[in-house]
Amino acid sequence: MTLLLSAWTIGLILSLLALGIYISYRVFKFADITADGSITFGAAVAAAMLTRGVHPVTASVTAFFAGCLAGLCTGVLHTRFKINQLLSGILVMTALYSINLHVMGSSNIPLLSVTTITTYAQSLGRWITGHDSATLLGWPVNARDVGSLLLVGAIVFVIALLAWLFFRTNLGSAMRASGDNEQMIRALGVSVENMIVLGLCVANGLVAFAGALLAQYQGFADVQMGIGMIVWGLASVIIGRALIGTDSVGAALIGTIMGSVLFRLIVALALRWGLNPNDLKLVTALFVFGALVLPTLMQRVKRHAPAT
Amino acid sequence: MLQLRELQKTFFAGTPNEVRALRGVSLQIEDGSFVIVIGTNGSGKSTLLNAVAGSFFVDRGAIQIAGKDVTRWPEHRRASMIGRVFQNPFSGTAPTMTVAENLALAARRGQPRGLGRLLPARIQKELRDRVASLNMQLETRMHNPIGTLSGGQRQALTLLMATWRRPDLLLLDEHTAALDPKSADQIVRLTEEIVSEHRLTTLMVTHSMQQAATLGDRIVMMNQGNVHADYAGAHRRHLRADDLVRRFDEIRREERLDASAAQLLRETYV
Repeated sequence: MTLLLSAWTIGLILSLLALGIYISYRVFKFADITADGSITFGAAVAAAMLTRGVHPVTASVTAFFAGCLAGLCTGVLHTRFKINQLLSGILVMTALYSINLHVMGSSNIPLLSVTTITTYAQSLGRWITGHDSATLLGWPVNARDVGSLLLVGAIVFVIALLAWLFFRTNLGSAMRASGDNEQMIRALGVSVENMIVLGLCVANGLVAFAGALLAQYQGFADVQMGIGMIVWGLASVIIGRALIGTDSVGAALIGTIMGSVLFRLIVALALRWGLNPNDLKLVTALFVFGALVLPTLMQRVKRHAPAT
Repeated sequence: MLQLRELQKTFFAGTPNEVRALRGVSLQIEDGSFVIVIGTNGSGKSTLLNAVAGSFFVDRGAIQIAGKDVTRWPEHRRASMIGRVFQNPFSGTAPTMTVAENLALAARRGQPRGLGRLLPARIQKELRDRVASLNMQLETRMHNPIGTLSGGQRQALTLLMATWRRPDLLLLDEHTAALDPKSADQIVRLTEEIVSEHRLTTLMVTHSMQQAATLGDRIVMMNQGNVHADYAGAHRRHLRADDLVRRFDEIRREERLDASAAQLLRETYV
């Protein structure tokens, strides 16, 4: 049960990463590898502040803005200096590695002895269950796990709701249109460049926020924790697309969150059944590869099928 | 009023692929005038339209719209004054967004876009009424993605979108060329209606001599990056499609003559 709860919680935390990737990859068709650096950046900023006694909410919100800054850099490199999408992301991601080491002061910061969001989650869980441990559907569970899941669920719900509302505003719709048809939205007076910069800011802000929450939940920030996160996000977005299958924003946002949770559950099960953790990134990459080529392959098979 | 002074544009300058697309085009278009631009392939007519729209900056010359010098304005800034319909019916609309969303985006052309709702209840009715006025039964599909509509339907909506806020200048770039004949007729009729109803200053590029002869009050014929002929007033009224075709043949003959003369000179002296 603890395993299940923790898989749900991490899945929900990483769904914020997936929402960020949804904005860059689905809205703008921009494979933004900055995410690998900005998730660590968020964790690093939050951890550094927490160890200096800053309030967890302030630390997490600051992490969000730190991520925005990273996204701003990638956006400006791409739109003002005309550097290719992937390369802009790689440059910022690489630079962030050094910056993260400076922010953290070492390659790892433990957070077990400081006040974090998890501390509040624990009190929340204790308040709900009444004890340090309780039973859920006949299984013994830890108050900390229950509290974390509820708190993270609430945060994700609020952020998804804000994202949904945003994409229905004039500005948010112009952003969607920028990814859908550049020529059209330019002719309607919108600077596509500004939209890309703004979109990448928000996307990386969400990714960094996910990093901050993840560090607090798992109890440490590590300079290596971002490796392969973009692929993780892509996998969630792709699963979400397959689950929902429409282009409407609300459905896509829900799908992305479900995709992230489902993917984390699958991974937790696979690990439980003996998948070597070292193979995790390889399997994730293969999965995304499959999801990317499968539609084209299916079409080719269909075309070659004899006409009836 | 649109004023173009000595516009010059060279693509791929200094390479073997150099194209001198505009070679000093000057043109003045009065308010409320409907100008048809014709010309052979590569004569620079689409380039002229794109230069006015701001798809690129000209190398030399100046562009003035309604008294404002927009020569160095980026495309999205000029959009506050210009409505555009493209040749490709898919270029003017955002396919995954709904009909209503596309129209609402166009209703704020050139306006600042903030955190107000795109589709508040009060504008939904206006959107529906305007779409119903097209008589294409599209008002029942306001919440369908616009990508599910046909090319003709999308082009009609693009035209509606381009003129939703009255533009100082309407640019139509062969906007019926990619449609089937029936849809093309429909769009031409709609264009006439909208342009005359709002007395829009319009610049329309077309390949169809028939359209050129029947639409508009002035015809500009382009050749080799310059204005070759300009028919307005009485000249324009007496012009028939056949006359235009004949004029094109003359141009072609002159060009062939040029080419064969050059060939002759080369053979004799080189």
